[in-house]
Amino acid sequence: MRALLRHALTEQGFAVEQADDGVSALEWLEGNDVDVVITDINMPRLDGFGLIERLRAGGRHRDRPILVLTTESSDEKKARARSAGATGWIVKPFDAEKLSAAVRRVAH
Amino acid sequence: MIHVPSHIQTPATMSRATVMQGQAQVSADPNRVLTTILGSCIATCLYDPRMRVGGMNHFLLAEPQNAGKTTVDENYGVYLMEVLVNGMLAHGARKSRMRAHLYGGANLHSGMSRIGTANAGFARQFLQNEGIPIVHMDVGGVQARRVDFRPAHGQARCRAVEDNFIPNQKPMPRPQKAAGDVELF
Repeated sequence: MRALLRHALTEQGFAVEQADDGVSALEWLEGNDVDVVITDINMPRLDGFGLIERLRAGGRHRDRPILVLTTESSDEKKARARSAGATGWIVKPFDAEKLSAAVRRVAH
Repeated sequence: MIHVPSHIQTPATMSRATVMQGQAQVSADPNRVLTTILGSCIATCLYDPRMRVGGMNHFLLAEPQNAGKTTVDENYGVYLMEVLVNGMLAHGARKSRMRAHLYGGANLHSGMSRIGTANAGFARQFLQNEGIPIVHMDVGGVQARRVDFRPAHGQARCRAVEDNFIPNQKPMPRPQKAAGDVELF
């Protein structure tokens, strides 16, 4: 799925960096700038909620747009992501054009 | 009227649910039986023995050739595998405890592309990447299969069936309520 996501976004002109899980993402983001963070919820070591909370807690990505892209569709999890500081919520399966439009919208 | 042979009838205490193409179902109900009929499609059955929960998916194709032009939807294993794993996690399962059964992937028509082989290869690779061991597998060949899986027990039964049992295997139209919609907070 990550490979498909990369392909869909690079075809739309975005430069994409990917991490295996929340901890790897945090480590990479400590030394790099991005315009948008896209995260899943179910990830090993540090899930999407934890990643959002850690990014919002301070540092260079405190105000960065964060989109959640997930198969989860429950209102409870969506509310939790919103409470943690997510910018938007996208339920898979993803539509490449809608996803790209959302990234452009929150990144400008 | 469809006659169900006696050897595949469900006892009165069991509830049988059909996992249709494009679906994934997870259950911890000890009386539940998940069932499906496969041609070139694949059904993946996952089971967590500690939580006694299991699930099955049923996908038509492995992954789109061009994700930039195609919606990654319910027809594709790359989506339905993730749905199944996440459904298991939502029921308290751990990926490190999950065990897999893999069924289907037949090449029913000799003159056509070997979609079944590609589907089975994708599923095996996906499970390997996720570190989920395959404890039983019956894939390939030229015959349709019927799979019955008791998700709370991790028990599966796979039998060859006549090709005319297979439902029409075509990509499903997307539902009106399209997933992939974006909600900005």
